[in-house]
Amino acid sequence: MARFYFDSGERDLTFEDEIGVECAGLGEVRRAGFEGLIDLTRESLKSVDGQQLFVEVRDENGDKIMRLSLLLRVKLLK
Amino acid sequence: MANHDLVREGDRPVYSFVVLDGLVGSTKHTGEGKRQITSFFVAGDIPDLHGLHLSVMDCNFTTLTPARIGFMRHDTLRSICDQHPRIATSFWRSTLIDAAIYREWVTNVGRREAYTRMAHILCELIFRLRSVGRIQDHVADLPITQAALGDALGLSTVHVNRMLQELRRSGLIATSGSKVHAMDWAGLTHAGDFDATYLHQRNLADQW
Repeated sequence: MARFYFDSGERDLTFEDEIGVECAGLGEVRRAGFEGLIDLTRESLKSVDGQQLFVEVRDENGDKIMRLSLLLRVKLLK
Repeated sequence: MANHDLVREGDRPVYSFVVLDGLVGSTKHTGEGKRQITSFFVAGDIPDLHGLHLSVMDCNFTTLTPARIGFMRHDTLRSICDQHPRIATSFWRSTLIDAAIYREWVTNVGRREAYTRMAHILCELIFRLRSVGRIQDHVADLPITQAALGDALGLSTVHVNRMLQELRRSGLIATSGSKVHAMDWAGLTHAGDFDATYLHQRNLADQW
């Protein structure tokens, strides 16, 4: 098990994770990041075309190892 | 030890237990195996008192921190209730308060935003621990995992971290190891939409 830090945010605004989560391997990191992105989306997604939300994962050395992001597209079709 | 199942769903216990120390949670699992903690129990609580009248347990009771537990035989409890109506009444009252707490938790998990939800659960824990004399001020030792907090709040561990940090940045709490200090009790109750009425602690609410 190692500790990973899940920073999150919107475009250039990053909320830094100071606590971290213990994960066993990249599969668990991805699952934790994905679940975090779902919660972030539920709370922060507005009806704004082009809005981007992300979770970016650092390891204990501070190296970025994964980024999960969402981009909202709203298009009038008629 | 933590994460020890004291009673499991489907059990037909002949005992009820009382929490002497530590924190216990009632838990349910979805078909997919996701855990929801449906309530916390602190020292003095008898979490499975309903087992006295409902023979098959419909949830699990699990230690969330190292805990000390006492067991009481159902037949003994029944004869105590038969001989002492006031004790029977206070047992009944205790299960009614449990139901009130479950109602509050449904509201908390179902309708409050994550930040409010987190503040609410911290207020409840601090209030209850203080009510039973386990803490004197607004500092609670809560050695529960972020995953357990997430299971109680219906939130991911990553979001639990985010909310704890937001509460810290707002100056409402300070954390040190497993200790949570409510720095601004009035602010925390406001942030958590917390009104202690549902805990039905006679005369205690006035002292806060």
